Amino acid sequence: MKRFVKGVRLSNYCRFKDLSLDFNDRLNILIGDNESGKSSIISAIDIVLSGSRNKVDALGLDKLFNAETVETYLKSKKRYDELPILFIEVFLNDINRKELEGKSHPSGQYCHGVYLLCQPRDDLSKEIKDILDKGDNNFPFEYYSVNFKTFADQSYTGYSRFLRHLVIDNSKISNDYATKAYINTVYQAFVDGAERNNHLNKYRSYKEKYTISELANINARVEDYAFAVKSNFKNNLETDLTITENGIDIENKGMGRQCFIRTEFALQKNGKELDVILLEEPENHLSHTNMHRLIQKIKDTDSRQVFLSTHSNLISARLDLRKSFLLNSSSYDYLQLDKLDEDTAKFFMKASDNNILEFIMSKKVILVEGDAEYILMNQLYLNLTSEGIERSGIHIISVGGTSFKRYLSVAKLLKIKTAVIRDNDGNYEENVSQSYKDYVSEIINVFSDKDDKVRTFEIGIFNENKNICNELFAAKRRTLSVLEYMLSEKAECAFQLLEKKGDALLAPQYIKEALIWIRE
Amino acid sequence: MDKRIIFAVAGAGKTTYIIESINEEDRTLIITYTVNNLKNISDSIKRKFGYFPRNIEIYTYFKFLYSFCFAPFLSYKLDAKGLFFEAPPRNTFKLKRTNLRYYQTADGRLYKNRLAKLLEVKNVLPEINKRLEKYYDCLYIDEVQDFGGHDFNFLESLLQASIKVLLVGDFYQHTFDTSRDAKTNEGLHNDYDSYLSRFEKIGLEIDTTTLRNSFRCSSQICDFITSNLGIQIRSNRKDQTYIYEISDSEKAKELFNNNSIIKLYYQKSDKHPGFTRNWGDCKGENCYNDVCVLLNKKSYSLYQEGRLKDSAPLTRNKLYVAFSRTRNNLYILPEPLINY
Repeated sequence: MKRFVKGVRLSNYCRFKDLSLDFNDRLNILIGDNESGKSSIISAIDIVLSGSRNKVDALGLDKLFNAETVETYLKSKKRYDELPILFIEVFLNDINRKELEGKSHPSGQYCHGVYLLCQPRDDLSKEIKDILDKGDNNFPFEYYSVNFKTFADQSYTGYSRFLRHLVIDNSKISNDYATKAYINTVYQAFVDGAERNNHLNKYRSYKEKYTISELANINARVEDYAFAVKSNFKNNLETDLTITENGIDIENKGMGRQCFIRTEFALQKNGKELDVILLEEPENHLSHTNMHRLIQKIKDTDSRQVFLSTHSNLISARLDLRKSFLLNSSSYDYLQLDKLDEDTAKFFMKASDNNILEFIMSKKVILVEGDAEYILMNQLYLNLTSEGIERSGIHIISVGGTSFKRYLSVAKLLKIKTAVIRDNDGNYEENVSQSYKDYVSEIINVFSDKDDKVRTFEIGIFNENKNICNELFAAKRRTLSVLEYMLSEKAECAFQLLEKKGDALLAPQYIKEALIWIRE
Repeated sequence: MDKRIIFAVAGAGKTTYIIESINEEDRTLIITYTVNNLKNISDSIKRKFGYFPRNIEIYTYFKFLYSFCFAPFLSYKLDAKGLFFEAPPRNTFKLKRTNLRYYQTADGRLYKNRLAKLLEVKNVLPEINKRLEKYYDCLYIDEVQDFGGHDFNFLESLLQASIKVLLVGDFYQHTFDTSRDAKTNEGLHNDYDSYLSRFEKIGLEIDTTTLRNSFRCSSQICDFITSNLGIQIRSNRKDQTYIYEISDSEKAKELFNNNSIIKLYYQKSDKHPGFTRNWGDCKGENCYNDVCVLLNKKSYSLYQEGRLKDSAPLTRNKLYVAFSRTRNNLYILPEPLINY
C-alpha cells in the first residue's frame, strides 16, 4: 500500500503561527526565497516522521518556537495557563493502522497521523511560575515537554517506522554525520530485516576469522596479550559501509557528483521501503546538465512521494508548477498553483527560459514584450517619478512575444498586480480591448497606444522624443529614415537612447498611465 | 452476522473452544478480563500455530477500553493521563453525569469503572463500533460474566457492531465486581435466567449445551460442587477421583508442606508461605492436579452444616472457582488447623 503524507499543520513553529498545507501523493515543490520557511517545512516533516527527540534538542526548542508568539507572551500578563504550545501535525493517508487513526490530536478530525507536541510540564508548573514571576524576559523553554504521539494517542519513537522517509540535504553534503546517516538509511531501505541481520552477522564473523587466521603470527610473538580487530556495535557493518560508483567511494567524488548520486540512488525503483523522499535545494552543486537529468529522474518517480525545496527557476518550472507551494518571506501564508489550468502549467514547463519564479515572487510586475521596452522601462519610470523602480517594489519582466495571457492566469490566481505594456500592432480594438477583456480587473491592466497608427513602442518613443532620436540616429542614415532605423534595430537603439540621453527621455502617454497605475 | 454466547461450566474448555475457533486469516480481537487469562490464551495461541499470528490480538478489557475505545477519540481533548484503578471517592457520586469530575481525577486520570459511561456521554459509541468494524472481522470475549455496571451497557453497544461475535462465560464464575458503580446494573447477576435474557434481547444466539460438561473435573468433584454450592455442573469423565476432608493436624501439616499441591485461601494468600492463591484469582487457570481448598471459620461451619450454598453470592462463586480447579483429588482443610 502506498504510504504518504497528506498534509501538515504547523502551530507556533518557526515562522508559522498557524499554517496548514495539503500535499499531493507524488510531487510537492516548495518554492521560496531565503528565510521563507521552506526548509522549516521539510524539517517539520522530518522531525515528526523520525519521532526523534534528539532532532528537536539539536535544533533547540528556542529556535523552533515562533519568535513572535514568544515575544507576545512575554509582553502579556505571563499567566501559566496561557503559555503557548507548539505542535506539528503530520496527516497520513489511510493505511489501515489503528495505532495511527484517531481524533486525539490538536486539530481533532478522525484520521491517520502523528504529531509533535511541546507544552509546559504541569509537574513543573510551580518552578515555571517562579521564573515567569521574576519579571525578566525569560521564556521557560527548558520546562517544556516534547512528546511524539499518534492520532490514536500512542507514544512512538523512530523505531516505530510507520512510514520510511529520507532527507537529502545537498547543502550539508560535506558533513560526516549526515553522510553516514544517509548511507545507513539507504542501506536499510534496500535490505529486508532478515537480510540485514545476516549481513551484520557475517561481517562480524569475518572480522573474527581475520583475527584468528591473519593476526595469529603476530599474536604468537606476544605474551599474555593479543591483537584483535574490533567488532562491537560501534565498529560494525553499518559504521564501515559506504556507497561506491565504479569502485570509487562517493565521499571521494566531487560535490556535484555526490549530490547527484545521493538523489539518484534514493530514487531507485528497487528500493523497497522508502515512502517519502525530501530533497533540500537539489540545485546545490549541480551543473545545468546534471540538473536536467535529476529533474527527469524526479519526474519518472511515481511510486514515492517527493518533497523538494528550491529557489531554482529551472527546477520548479520543469516540474509541474501546479504541484508548487509558493512561500514568500514577507507573508505568512503560501500560494498554490494547483488551480492553474493544465495548458498554462504546460506552457511554463516547456518554455525555455522563463521568469516564472521571479514573477510569482513579486508583488507588482510590469510585463513587456521585448528587449527594447525592458531596457528603457527603468529609466522612464525614474524620469516620471524620481524614484528607482526596484525601490518601489516593482519588477519588470520581458516575456518575449505575446504570451502575456499565460502570466495573467498566474497573476489572477496569486493576486499579483500586473501591468501589461504591449504594442497595438495596428489594431487597438482587436489586439488590446477585445483580447484582454477577460483578464482586466482591479489588479490587472493592459496598456497600449489607442492610436492604431502608433503600432509599436518605437513609434511611440520616436513621437515623444523626436529631437533626441534625430540627434542620435539621423547622421548616419542614407536609405532608412530615423524611425525606420529604430524599427529595424530595436534593442540597439534603445540601448543608445538609455546610454546617451536617458535623463531626457519622455514616456509615451500610455506608458505614463501604466507606470502611474502600477505605482499606486 | 454470526453472534453467539456460550454459557459454560468450569473446566468445560471455554478457552480451548475460542482457540479452536480462531484462524490465521480473520482479523481477530480477543478480550479477556484478567492478565492471567490473557497470558493463558496467548500461550495457547502460540501452541496452536507454533507462532503468534499477526491477525490476532488479545487485550485485557480495560486496556481495550482505554487504548482502542477511549484514547483515539477523547484523550487529547480531555488531557487524559491514564486509568485510575481504585474506586471513585464517595463525593463524586452526587456529581452530574455530565460533569467531567465524575469521570476524571483532578490530575487527569480516569476512574476505570466509569470510563464506559464516559464514552456513552461523549457520544462516541457509534464511532467505536465503526472503528471495531474497520479493524476486526471477529470479536471473542472470554469470561464475559465479569462485565458489570456501566461496562455491561457498553458491552451491549459493542455487540451491535457488524462483526462476528463469540462470547463465552460461566455465570457462576462471576467473582468480582470491579465495574460496579452505585446502582448501575446492580442486580445483573442475581438471576441466571434474566441475565441470559439480556443477551437474547440484543439478538445473540444463546448456547447452553456446547460447553455443558466439565473435562477438568471428575463426576465426584462435580457432584460435590452441585450438592454443596447448588451450582449445576456435570462431568465428561468416567474415571474416579477423591475428596478428602482433613481434620487431623499431622495430615494438615504434611499436606501443607507438599508444594506440589496448590493451597487456595479465601483471601490474602500472599500472607501464607508456600504454593498458594486466592479462591477467585485462579479463574481461567488450568494447571493444577490436586487442589487443597482452605475454608475460613465461617465457611467451614457452613460447610459442616451443608449450607455452603447460602454463602454470599460472590463468596459462593469464588468457592466454585476454587473447587473446580481440581483435576484429580480435592482436599478440604479448615484454615485454623494450620498454624506455623
